Amino acid sequence: MNPQSIGFLSFCVVVLTANGLLQRFSVRWQNGLLLLASCVFYAMADWVMLFLMMGMSVVYWWLGGLLKRLMNKGRTADASRLTTFSVCIAICLLCYFKYLGFFVEQVGCLLQMFGIHSSLSLSILLPLGLSFYTFKLISYIIEIHREHIEPCDNLMTFSLYISFFPTVMAGPIDRSGTFLPQLKKTRRVDADALIQGAKTMLWGYFLKICIADPLSLATDETWNTFDSLPASTVLAAALIYPIQMYADFCGYSCIAIGLGRMLGLVVTENFNRPFLARNVAEYWRRWHMSLTNWLTDYVFMPLNITWREYGNRGIMLAIIVNMIVVGIWHGANWTYLLFGLYHGLLFLPLIYSGTFTRKKKLKPGKWGLPTLHDGMYMVGTYLLVTIGFVAFRAPDVGSIFGFLGAIFDSSIMEIPHIPQFRLLYLAFIAILLVNDWIYRDSPSPLHFNGTGLFRYRLVRWFIYYLLLFAIYIYSDAESQQFIYVQF
Amino acid sequence: MERKEIFSKLNEIFIDVLDLDECNLTDETNANDIEEWDSLSHIQLIVAIEKRFGIKFTSLEIMKWRNVGELVDSILSKK
Repeated sequence: MNPQSIGFLSFCVVVLTANGLLQRFSVRWQNGLLLLASCVFYAMADWVMLFLMMGMSVVYWWLGGLLKRLMNKGRTADASRLTTFSVCIAICLLCYFKYLGFFVEQVGCLLQMFGIHSSLSLSILLPLGLSFYTFKLISYIIEIHREHIEPCDNLMTFSLYISFFPTVMAGPIDRSGTFLPQLKKTRRVDADALIQGAKTMLWGYFLKICIADPLSLATDETWNTFDSLPASTVLAAALIYPIQMYADFCGYSCIAIGLGRMLGLVVTENFNRPFLARNVAEYWRRWHMSLTNWLTDYVFMPLNITWREYGNRGIMLAIIVNMIVVGIWHGANWTYLLFGLYHGLLFLPLIYSGTFTRKKKLKPGKWGLPTLHDGMYMVGTYLLVTIGFVAFRAPDVGSIFGFLGAIFDSSIMEIPHIPQFRLLYLAFIAILLVNDWIYRDSPSPLHFNGTGLFRYRLVRWFIYYLLLFAIYIYSDAESQQFIYVQF
Repeated sequence: MERKEIFSKLNEIFIDVLDLDECNLTDETNANDIEEWDSLSHIQLIVAIEKRFGIKFTSLEIMKWRNVGELVDSILSKK
């Protein structure tokens, strides 16, 4: 069920109404309703794989309890072995569905290079949301082993945590330590939560329907024909792709966070104005935060602790491995590996110079704009990120270099003409970036702080209606699936 | 070695590694309380603490700490 479809919105209305009616009942009823809704939602997309997700939930719920019992008995070595075993099961599952087909294909290519005829191929469909929920399962077991959480005593609560329908398709990846406690107490949804949730969803739909979808038509067209286009057009398409990705994925995250809020649950944030970052380290602290925080805790930190004796060399190696994992988490393709490696390498000068950890708060300069110094670093970071996104978007390694090569041409001075690009999109992009700057410290989108013109209710409502109108106009356009759903 | 003495040495290490003007650690202090204390400086702190106290922590031990109090407990258990 596509989140921008009428079917999804109708589904949400039914669930929200039922959730409201069950507020007077115990938390068991509320969780039962949400679990039922999550199962229906998942089954409508892929009912066979619903059994896999629920089966994994049961197994990991049992493993969590067993792990705690071993720890209570002081059998620490057995507890460590069980943790490793549990993590390996989840990784094997991920490798089977996500990487085995690619691996077999590469072996076939290798054999052909040695003159051995091979028709090796394996087609395995990736279950919806697998990359997201396996990370939740892994984190649950490790957190019990680290004694940060107690195992969940109720299977229904745990299954709901894994399958929660607003986030099951493409995150954010909620952590058990913050999400499970919310599922254990009765939730009351007040008017404020409903309004804030609805505003966050409205912003998410605006990003997806008015920015990401129209831009995707323009960038797809450019990617399909970049060989025959002027360099300036190719460059312009490369420069708008990070915005498209941001609007697409942040749009999805806002819909999930807003819907969660309306159901009385706080879903973890995924983005914090990434294009205000002044270096790549800061960018990764602001982009897809639920994934990067997860990897920091379970990949980067353990590696960094193990290699702590090696000083900066240990840190660099840990970062490069971590960023390669970030890359290949997105899928089985050499392009994702290169994307991760490229970002890992971008960290190296920051570690050498000591700016890796420096966190200076953004302060406005003259006329409330970023200072010239900050602005220059923001633009520089954006350009570096853009090159990375060329690798991310390319269908194969050859296309990365083909696309980048097409930018270095004498036609770079021509006026760019991106097919299917309208000037109005620039206005939408400006709204997105200006909003990010002005409300850089705001907890949620469209959370006006009541200063200036926004203290007037009429102005605020005018903005909400304007966004709704824009969504209505653009919802006629060809609707695109959210990019991160494929991962 | 007493807790008070350990805290005093830890304050010196934190000031030195994180380049702070002053530091008053308590049992409840955690990374959220000190802006300069992040995933990377955490490792630098551990290396400095191990060197100063002449001890070695295991990876799991390090990963379990939720605040300075638990770090001090680990140091005490090794002394």
